[in-house]
Amino acid sequence: MRILLHVILLMGLAGGIVAAETGGDGVFPYVSRTETLANGLTVIMIPMSGSGLMSYYSIVRTGARDEYEAGKTGFAHFFEHMMFRGTKNYPAAKYDRMVTEMGANANAYTTDDYTAYHLSFAAEKLETVVRLESDRFQFLEYEVAAFQTEAGAVYGEYRKNRSNPWQVLFEVLLRNAFTRHTYGHTTIGFEEDIKAMPKLYDYSREFFSRYYRPDNVVLLLVGDFEPETAMKFIRKYYSDWQAGYQPPAIPVEAEQTGERTAQVSYEGKTLPLLMVSYKAPAFDVSDARMVAGSMLGELLFGETSAIYRKLVLKEQTVQFISAEFGFNRDPRLWSIYAMVKDETDITAVRAEIDRTIDQFSRKTVDEAELRNLKKRLRYSFLMNLDSPDAVAANLARLIAITGGMDVIDNLYTAYDRVTPKNIRDAVRQYLTPERRTIVTLTGRE
Amino acid sequence: MTQRFLSIILLGLFMLSCSPPPSHHVVLLHVEDDPTITFRIWFQVGSQCDPAGKEGLASLTAAMIAEGATETRAYEDILTELYPLASSYGASVDKEMTVLSGRVHQDNLDMFYNLFLDAILHPAFSEEDFVRIRTEMLNRLEKSLRYANDEELGKAVFSHFVYEGTQYAHIAEGTISSLENITVEDVRRFYRAWYTRNNVVIGLGGGYNAALLRRLEEDLALLPESRPTQPEAPEPAAFNGLHFRIVEKDCNATAISFGYPIDVLRGDDDFWALAVFNSWFGEHRNSSSHLYQVIRETRGMNYGDYSYIEHFANGGSRQMPAPHYGRRQQLFEVWLRPVQHVHRHFALRAAIRELQSVVENGMTQAQFDLTQRFLTTYALHYATSTSSRLGYAIDSRFYGIDQDYVDLFRRKIDALTLEDVNDAIRRHIQFHDLKIAVVTSGAEQFVEELVADQPSPVEYDTPKPQEVLDEDLQIMVYPLNVQRANISVISVDQVFE
Repeated sequence: MRILLHVILLMGLAGGIVAAETGGDGVFPYVSRTETLANGLTVIMIPMSGSGLMSYYSIVRTGARDEYEAGKTGFAHFFEHMMFRGTKNYPAAKYDRMVTEMGANANAYTTDDYTAYHLSFAAEKLETVVRLESDRFQFLEYEVAAFQTEAGAVYGEYRKNRSNPWQVLFEVLLRNAFTRHTYGHTTIGFEEDIKAMPKLYDYSREFFSRYYRPDNVVLLLVGDFEPETAMKFIRKYYSDWQAGYQPPAIPVEAEQTGERTAQVSYEGKTLPLLMVSYKAPAFDVSDARMVAGSMLGELLFGETSAIYRKLVLKEQTVQFISAEFGFNRDPRLWSIYAMVKDETDITAVRAEIDRTIDQFSRKTVDEAELRNLKKRLRYSFLMNLDSPDAVAANLARLIAITGGMDVIDNLYTAYDRVTPKNIRDAVRQYLTPERRTIVTLTGRE
Repeated sequence: MTQRFLSIILLGLFMLSCSPPPSHHVVLLHVEDDPTITFRIWFQVGSQCDPAGKEGLASLTAAMIAEGATETRAYEDILTELYPLASSYGASVDKEMTVLSGRVHQDNLDMFYNLFLDAILHPAFSEEDFVRIRTEMLNRLEKSLRYANDEELGKAVFSHFVYEGTQYAHIAEGTISSLENITVEDVRRFYRAWYTRNNVVIGLGGGYNAALLRRLEEDLALLPESRPTQPEAPEPAAFNGLHFRIVEKDCNATAISFGYPIDVLRGDDDFWALAVFNSWFGEHRNSSSHLYQVIRETRGMNYGDYSYIEHFANGGSRQMPAPHYGRRQQLFEVWLRPVQHVHRHFALRAAIRELQSVVENGMTQAQFDLTQRFLTTYALHYATSTSSRLGYAIDSRFYGIDQDYVDLFRRKIDALTLEDVNDAIRRHIQFHDLKIAVVTSGAEQFVEELVADQPSPVEYDTPKPQEVLDEDLQIMVYPLNVQRANISVISVDQVFE
């Protein structure tokens, strides 16, 4: 795959705006244009004509990772809820009414590394959306009572999730895998912190002031629109937003030097769950070993792997086995997880995972196998770009982690360069016993 | 073995004499610049066709086609071939529809096509796949659905409660005893009976060409000739008053679903008017929902509160309605996401009281105007990709709608008046006769509270405006008039037995 063929830098547009255009010559099939306002707000625009629809993502590069203060777990997510509580110009009821009148599909979500506010709407409403979104990001205002009521809804969300044993297991996994870093808690937060949220009104204003700043936000526009027109609106409504992002003091996690294990007794009934998680490196597209490492989940534990054939299809001792080797801003986890049919087989499944890793640490992966994986990654990406909303949703994480658009083509170029040796080196470096945390969960009889 | 040999000979005979299915069995959505091709092959069979005692057979059969070996390919080899394409095919089974679907990039069309058609035409139905897939289905019922997702559990119990005694009663996955009762020979028989050339509708979308359509028609004409008889539409038993099915479960919050069968289907005259009412009263996962405003936004009691005039599958994870849940009988359904046990009685009262209010007073002009404006644009989001648009087009064929559904929906909504909507509410929406499914802890105590119509005051952790507190005084004593005889309590261990 070729590196981007042309990257045009246009310096010195209005107010010190920096603009770059990429021409769809890499894996990403659409032309994208990036501009940065003087206040640091990055705007990525991807026109896709024809549908009459567009998707508007406000990506705040703050998530559960930024909750470094004691008693504040879950606050980024809670704050996401508060962003729907209105401003002086557009109180919540008026905001809701305008979004309803537009027939927009509006929602938001919070992850470990970022929070995304997204609307999908008829493209002719673009100026109204820019006006509404810029307003709440600059002038959010809510009463104490509204703040406290919303805390009740968040607790309801926690309760809704609680009947899922994976949620319970995940909470224990993170607590054990991290002793200092904020990745040690889930995005929804600890129950005791959620219960205490109604008392944190003042902190919520502080949170807004620290993180909801243009220099910590990326706007991503995809769909049926003209970039020039969009930028005219964005300059008009966002230019007065004051920079002033204060980076969080996230503690650095010490290198893990020994295996950690935990067992969870789940109050409900469930098949036993097993999760084996390894400390993963932070996302860095220029690090060939990291890129190779991110491919290990599919390669070693995907649907065509030997372990999948053995445990799922032949011996049928697990309901499923899968792996999640994702991307994060800081070193987090790469995990292999399985639902085991019989508790007595947990040890054997663990041993099979170990055996798989051991084999890949010694052998050189077959070139054809690696080629198939690269092809799969590429087509999987392309097939998921089937609507403006799908494009935005698929790009959001990498844009949030890196702050820009270049990463997309660069990542697929990096995949293409991965060699069998990179794969073996990644297994040896990352999938070692001292880097892992193993959690098993069993239900009641 | 002899029987299989015979069927191969018979199949050979059909191959000599067959011609493509008639053109009304084709739904097309050509999108010139779409680099992918979507297949949606609809067989007119669903869980309503499961034989008594073999509930789950339609699902198991479809899963074995989509996730099993063919006569010439082991399942693991199929996975290996699909892997670099990043494509897969899958099955969706509801009461009346089974759709085998897949999507592939044009670069990889031939390879995918051969695998997909091989799965449909020549499934192996091997014992090894059968054991694996049936066990997975049993585990999902016994462990996941029963114990790990109270919201879906509550909805499944509600649907069963309403349709008891009809072929719609069981969920598509069947029950534990019925699944255990199914043999691989049952699957083969079911396939032969229902996967026939006269029972299939071809859905093709994206950047395909005429040659591909011809090839698909010719290949599916290789299916057996027979024409299965469709069951009659279900007729759920009439009932009066509020009927409760309460599931006792060790859980930390109460899930509630309630409603009743309605006779309005997509495309009927009153459907569009009810769609406006429903959107205002309880638009799915949208803060514009009136119920959401009352229970969540104002009182912070749960995560959301919605209503439906058509079955909405996987509501916990989906924002827009999924295709292929076409039914000849639908429900009006209200879904309250889990509330604290201490709020269950109050939340139920609040929801039914709001229902009474709209039934008795209708919608206001302002509510109607806003909802009409909302829906005419919001409907654009129902189907934004070629694949989902093709899904909707197939469902339109199910309902006898001969034009683009989203376009039609927008035009019909735009043409409505407030009077149309309030007339439809009077004709179809009521609050006296409801079936109510509840998943909770302390069911017996709840029964006593319901039967006694005991006041259900609420205490908030946070201050509330005086008008809210005043309204609460009315909600907490809102009479439900529940008869003890109309309440049944079951243990969670009995659900899906």
